[in-house]
Amino acid sequence: MIDKKLLSILVCPVSKGELDYQADKNELVCWSSGLAYPVRDGIPVMLESEARALSEDEKQQHKHR
Amino acid sequence: MSEKKTTHFGFEQVEVDKKAERVADVFHSVAGKYDLMNDLMSGGVHRLWKRYTIEKSAVRTGHKVLDIAGGTGDLSYQFAQKVGPEGLVVLADINASMLNVGRDRLTDRGVAGNLTCAQADAQYLPFPDNTFDCITIAFGLRNVTDKDLALAAMLRVLKPSGRLLILEFSKPANPLLEKAYDTYSFSLLPLMGKLITNDADSYRYLAESIRMHPDQKTLQGMMDNAGFVMTEFQNMTGGIVALHMGVKP
Repeated sequence: MIDKKLLSILVCPVSKGELDYQADKNELVCWSSGLAYPVRDGIPVMLESEARALSEDEKQQHKHR
Repeated sequence: MSEKKTTHFGFEQVEVDKKAERVADVFHSVAGKYDLMNDLMSGGVHRLWKRYTIEKSAVRTGHKVLDIAGGTGDLSYQFAQKVGPEGLVVLADINASMLNVGRDRLTDRGVAGNLTCAQADAQYLPFPDNTFDCITIAFGLRNVTDKDLALAAMLRVLKPSGRLLILEFSKPANPLLEKAYDTYSFSLLPLMGKLITNDADSYRYLAESIRMHPDQKTLQGMMDNAGFVMTEFQNMTGGIVALHMGVKP
């Protein structure tokens, strides 16, 4: 779960690009920087050092969606 | 072999990429007793400093406010009352422990709807350009590794005419006060820290980091360089604390 008002003004701290909220993994994904930011206890962790690098598979799947 | 770049962590020199980690350890350690320690250390005066900051912010109904290094949420709580249901307050802190304490406290005080939390680094703010009417950073800039980078990031996410307020420990104007303050902060402060949180080192860092922070004029110059206009500062409690203000052109 993430606050909708907050989500509407969050961007990736690296690319400043839009974020895609993935409810199944509870992550905020930036496709342009290839990073997924975790949401812990409802608080988005917008730190590059805490982000997960997306796999090539995930990026490909997104492209062909 | 090239030497690694260093920066100050209190009076100690540490590698630039280690400072954030060291600061994080300090705040993980003190988070639970942070409010109590603030009251004891400042004799409750920190509440007056914060109240004055709120007054100078000119925040009103409908505004979007970013409270950076907002920690346990003192300023955010006041702002949430001011912006009303149409506004939004984002409580941001790089430290998860501080943010959790802040969030729980705000929930206990019945704040909801217009106040939200994000874990973020002041140097790399996760918001679009021209988003906020006001940004505050209270007792936080001191701990940021690259202050120029942080000032540039704050300028970027402020709306034109938006206002930045920096509340921070500074340099006492009077040499006598400075001497008394030195004695207090280098002897009494770590002792209080040891008694209350069993952590003298964190409070020694606090005292040292205050001495390493740029003085009033230097910080104002850094704000000018970052691109803020109408920059000014006001000393409080004889310059132990200063409130710096600047506007995005």
